[in-house]
Amino acid sequence: MTRRATIFFVFVLVALGVGGFYLRSLSKRVFVEPPRAEQAARAKLSQIALQPNNGTTQVATLYFPALDEGKILPESRSLTWAQADPDRIRQVVLALAEGSHQGYGRVLPASTSVRAVFLSADGTAFLDLSSDLLGEFEPGIESETLAIYSIVDSIALNIPSVKRVQFLIQGQEVETLDGHADLTVPYVPDPSRVKSSQ
Amino acid sequence: MILPAILLLGVAAIFWPARELRSDNFVFYFPSAHHLLPFETVSGVKYLPLMQLLNMVGKVAAVQEKKDEVRVWFGDTQIALRPNGPSVEVDHTQYDLLEPVRLSDGQWMVPVDFLTTVLPHLTHQDVEYQDGTNRIFIGDVKPVSFTVRLDPIANGARLTVQFTDKVTVTTASSNGKWIMYLGDHPIEPMEQSYRFQNPYLSELRYDDQDGVPKLILSPAASGLNFYPVEAEGGKILLADVLKPPLLMPQAQQPQPSPNPPPVSAPTLPQQPAPSVTEENPATPPGPPLPVVALDPAHGGTDNGGHSSDGILEKNLVAQVVAQVRTALLATDKYRVVLTRTGDVNVSAEQRALAANLSGAMCFISFHAGDLGASSPRISIFTFQPPSPPAQPPPPTFLPWSEVQESQSTQSVQLALTLQQQLAQINGAEVEQPSTAPVYSLRSVDSPAVAVELGRLAPSGDAAALTNPAFQQQVASAVVQALAIFWKGGTTP
Repeated sequence: MTRRATIFFVFVLVALGVGGFYLRSLSKRVFVEPPRAEQAARAKLSQIALQPNNGTTQVATLYFPALDEGKILPESRSLTWAQADPDRIRQVVLALAEGSHQGYGRVLPASTSVRAVFLSADGTAFLDLSSDLLGEFEPGIESETLAIYSIVDSIALNIPSVKRVQFLIQGQEVETLDGHADLTVPYVPDPSRVKSSQ
Repeated sequence: MILPAILLLGVAAIFWPARELRSDNFVFYFPSAHHLLPFETVSGVKYLPLMQLLNMVGKVAAVQEKKDEVRVWFGDTQIALRPNGPSVEVDHTQYDLLEPVRLSDGQWMVPVDFLTTVLPHLTHQDVEYQDGTNRIFIGDVKPVSFTVRLDPIANGARLTVQFTDKVTVTTASSNGKWIMYLGDHPIEPMEQSYRFQNPYLSELRYDDQDGVPKLILSPAASGLNFYPVEAEGGKILLADVLKPPLLMPQAQQPQPSPNPPPVSAPTLPQQPAPSVTEENPATPPGPPLPVVALDPAHGGTDNGGHSSDGILEKNLVAQVVAQVRTALLATDKYRVVLTRTGDVNVSAEQRALAANLSGAMCFISFHAGDLGASSPRISIFTFQPPSPPAQPPPPTFLPWSEVQESQSTQSVQLALTLQQQLAQINGAEVEQPSTAPVYSLRSVDSPAVAVELGRLAPSGDAAALTNPAFQQQVASAVVQALAIFWKGGTTP
């Protein structure tokens, strides 16, 4: 092999190597899914709701189900409130999903995420929950009813501008929560679901 | 030159025979279940989607799809197909088909003769398929068949349907026809339909295309009355189709019968065709009995809840409802309508419709769920709307979604009566009736309650609820409660 041919062969090898490396990095950029904008926005909203910068810290009352008694039980929780009511609604729901600190029943699976919250002028809060909750939810008339009123009563008690709550699952209006409780119309709070202190 | 050619092509496209394409269901009966598979009819030939078909009868291990071939590993068997290919290769053996394989919208479709030519080699089970029908029996399935006879009787005709085995029949009327649901047992009719030259009945047709085996009877005229009864333990169904007598001045009000009829009736004593004329007060041969609508919740793909020992809510409540039904029919004082027969999906609207069409005296929906730690525990719910209506509806119009609210007083009375009787079950904890936004109750136009049995939850077993003695006690309590409720009281 002549010297010139050797140089040409080495040059081709180097070019192939550089080309291969470039293609590999290009394929990563093309095929690696970028973070989904929607998920990122939701995560940011939840972060804002849970860690507001300038909010006031107050004791909120949250309700959790007591299946043995067929009622919902109050539990106090310190929350640093966000400024806007929709963010406060999100705070309440995420605090409920976190679970009771006193060992009461679970309202929502911990994996539940709040996709969106809207508050209309007439006081209807539209609460859009992720469908993840259905996979871990305990279906049943009592369990669904108590879960719903835990959410509705908790929101309405702590955010007085909310008069009723319309549930959406994955952005859609659905017939039932998990086969039992009617979700086609908004819920008004029902204080009679709360276990009386006596 | 070009313009005439385009015109010619346009005219040819207009008059080119359109490909006949429509979709329907094929019913696959297995020893303990049945499934529906939609099929396409292309130019008179039925085609089934291959992957759905294979996943229904077994497990597809792998699929290798190329442009002009698909290879499927089904268990330890390898299947190869080509689009428009006249045969299928199974483990290197060619099986010729009467019609070619099709690739439609990326979906591999096989002609219906694949079921008899190839499927037995894949499942290694008996495959019974009657050409021309849309149902197939795979494995050790023993379908029931039946014969039909129509005899003249005074003022009408008597239809006799004799089954080869016992069949549970419930009836309903819809769109001017009478429908007799035949439970969930596989049925293989000798004929798909029977036509009659008769002034009372024009056709009897068997249908299971929605997965629910049933006989559909078409009356030959409007205003006829229909009185079905079971005989010989469900092996024979007698149905009288009668011309109603003229209006009698002293028409009797329906009351529970003190004297039981000679045979136990399946459900509805009378199902007049919807176009009943005004001078047709039904005066049935026997006294009409009140109808009880029993609703086993969930079904089909909707399992409801489940327990740690694998008990599904849909199956548990079906068991309980069967016990309640048997106990009610044994009194000879009620007809029973089931909103679900077999393991099928039934919407809340269909359930309410079944009860409303039958004119049920009450509707009892059975559920099972997590009611806390103790078991057995029973909760009874009446309907509470999530929001009170903003303003009362005008008296001339009541939306279906608000019908149950007009029955709330009677529903609460029924719930209290049930609670009092269920509380007498040994060892069971029975809560005071409560309210809940139960979706399946809201459109029921009769006193309606949901009975939830607990505890059915993944963290515990359901032994207390599957106990036959407990289920029997629930059934007896329901019978006692309905006897009291029908008399208008809440206490014995």
